[in-house]
Amino acid sequence: MSTVDLPITVFVVDDEPPARNRLKELLTDCARQLSLELVGEAGNGREALDKLSAVRADVVLVDIRMPQMDGIELAQHLNKLPQPPAIIFTTAYDAYAIKAFDLHAIDYLLKPIRLGRLFDALTRARSAVPLRTEVLQELGPEPRKNLSIHERGKIYLIPIEQVLYLRAELKYITVRTAEREYLIDESLAALEKEFAARFVRIHRNCLVAKEEVEGFEKVADEDGGELRWAVKLKGLDEKLPISRRQQFMVKEFG
Amino acid sequence: MPKTQIINQNPIPDALPNFRSLGVTLRAVLLVNGMALLVALAQATSWPDMARHIMVISALLQPILLSSLLLLFALNPQITRLPYWRGVATVLLLVMAITLVIHYLADNLYILALEHGYFYLWRNVLLGSAITALLLAYFRLRARALSPALHKARLQALQARIRPHFLFNTINAVLGIVRADPKRAEAALEDMADLFRMAMAHNGDLVAARQEVKLARQYLALEQLRMGERLKVNWHTQDLPDDALLPPLMLQPLLENSVYHGIEPLAEGGAIDIKLYRSGNEMHLEIYNPRHAQGGHHAGNEMALTNIRERLALQFDVEAHYTVETSNDFYRVHIMLPYVKEIPDEHR
Repeated sequence: MSTVDLPITVFVVDDEPPARNRLKELLTDCARQLSLELVGEAGNGREALDKLSAVRADVVLVDIRMPQMDGIELAQHLNKLPQPPAIIFTTAYDAYAIKAFDLHAIDYLLKPIRLGRLFDALTRARSAVPLRTEVLQELGPEPRKNLSIHERGKIYLIPIEQVLYLRAELKYITVRTAEREYLIDESLAALEKEFAARFVRIHRNCLVAKEEVEGFEKVADEDGGELRWAVKLKGLDEKLPISRRQQFMVKEFG
Repeated sequence: MPKTQIINQNPIPDALPNFRSLGVTLRAVLLVNGMALLVALAQATSWPDMARHIMVISALLQPILLSSLLLLFALNPQITRLPYWRGVATVLLLVMAITLVIHYLADNLYILALEHGYFYLWRNVLLGSAITALLLAYFRLRARALSPALHKARLQALQARIRPHFLFNTINAVLGIVRADPKRAEAALEDMADLFRMAMAHNGDLVAARQEVKLARQYLALEQLRMGERLKVNWHTQDLPDDALLPPLMLQPLLENSVYHGIEPLAEGGAIDIKLYRSGNEMHLEIYNPRHAQGGHHAGNEMALTNIRERLALQFDVEAHYTVETSNDFYRVHIMLPYVKEIPDEHR
C-alpha cells in the first residue's frame, strides 16, 4: 500500500488562536519523527466544513466547545464525507464528553496538550475505525443545529429551524424546507428522539415541525374512502395525512 | 488521643450579635412579638378577647422592646468589646433596668388596665430578662450553626470561583504563546498567580474595592489572551469611592459567568459592561453581558449566583441583595450591599 508513505494530512479546528498556535507548534515537533503535513485550520465548525470540502485531511483535531457549531456536531457532519477523516477531540474540561469518550474508546486530548500524547494519537489515527454516527449523537447532550447532506463533493448544511417536515421513504428520509427537498440517510426514530423539541410524529413515516403547523383539514384517504385529518403546513400546499393512530393530536393542538 | 482531638477542634469563639445590624434588630422584633401573640392566644377566651390581650401586652412590651433595642444600638461598640459572658450580663441588666423604668412610668402615666403591685413589677422584670436570655441563646446558636457553613461556603466558593475550564484553557493558551511571545506569557503567568493567591487567601475579611477591580482586570486580561478580539470590556468605575470595601472575589466569578455563558458562545464575541458606584450608604455592582439567543445552559450561572447569595447573606445578612435581569439576548446582575469604609491605617 502506497498510502503509508504519504504524509498524514492534519487539520486543526479551535476557536482560540493561541490554542491553534500551540497545536501547530506541537505538530511541527511531531513532524521530525513522523511524516505529516498541516493542510489547514479553522476557528469554528462551519468554517472547518467549508474548508474540508476542498481539502482532504486524514486527521482532524477538533475542539469540543466552540461557538456557532461545536466539535461534536462538526464530527457528525464530517462523517458524511465519502472518506471521513479520523477525528481526535481536544478539550480542557468537559466531564460529560470525557465520560462518553472513555465509554466508547474514542481518542481525545486533554488541554494543555502534551507532545507525547499528540504523537501517539496521530500514529494511531490512521488505523482507527471511523466513529459511528449513533455514537457521536450520544456524545452531544444537545441536538444538532443542522442536518447535513453530501452533494457533489461538498457538505451542505440545512438549519434545523428551516425544516418543515421529515418523511421516510424507502431507503432515505426526505427533508422538506420551504424551498426544496433533500434526501438524507438517517433513521426517522433517531431524528424523532434527537429533535423532540421541534417535531411531532403524525404518521408512521412522518414528523412535522410543531411551529409550522397552520391547520388541519379533512381529506379522503388514498382509496377515496373515509375522510381523515391531514396537516397543512405554513408555506406548503401539500397536505400530510395523519395516521389513524395519531388522530387524537388534532384535538391536542386545539 | 481524645485529648489531641479536643485541641484540634478549634472552638468557635462566642460573640454577641451586632445590635446595629438590621437583621438582628428585625429578628428580635419579630421573635418577641411572636411570643407575645402566643401568650395572648393562650390567655384568650375568644378572638375579640385575644385582641384585648394583645393590646394590654403591647402597652408595656413595645416600649420596653423598642427602648432596649435603641439603647443596645447606641451602646453596641462598648458592649461588643466586652468578653462574651460579661456582655451577656450587661445586656440582661440593661433590659431589666429598662423594664423597671418603663413599668414605673407606665404605672404613673397609663390609664390602661395595667395590673399594679410589686408582684407584677417583678414578674415583668423576670419575663423581660428571660426573653432576652432566650434571644441571646438563639443568636449564639445561630452564629454557631452558621460558622461551619461559612467555612464550607468559602470552600465551595473557591471551587466554583475558578472553573477548571478556565484554568486548563489558560495554561494551554500560555503554552501557545510562550515560544512566539515569551514576554506576554510571563505577564499571563503573573496574573494567574495573583488570581490564585487571592482565591486561596481564604479569610472572609472585606478587601479594598480597587483591589477587587485590579484582580478582575487581571482575570479579564487572561481571558482576552485566549479569546482575542472577541472579548471587549467596558469599565465604569469613576464613581467608585477610593475607600470602599467589598467581599473578596465577588466580581471575578460573575465575570467568569459572563465570559463562559455570554461571550464564548458568540462567534463574533461581544462586550461586558461593569459598573461600580456608591449611592448614599449603598454600594452598587452591575454586570451586563450579551448572550446567544438560544443559549441553553443556565446551571453554571445558577451555581455562581447561589454561591454569591450565600456569601452576601453570611456577610451582610438582610442588608445586601441582588437582582438578575435576563432576556433572550442579554444578562444583567445588579448587587447592592452596604457601603463599608476602609479604616485608615494609623500606623503609617
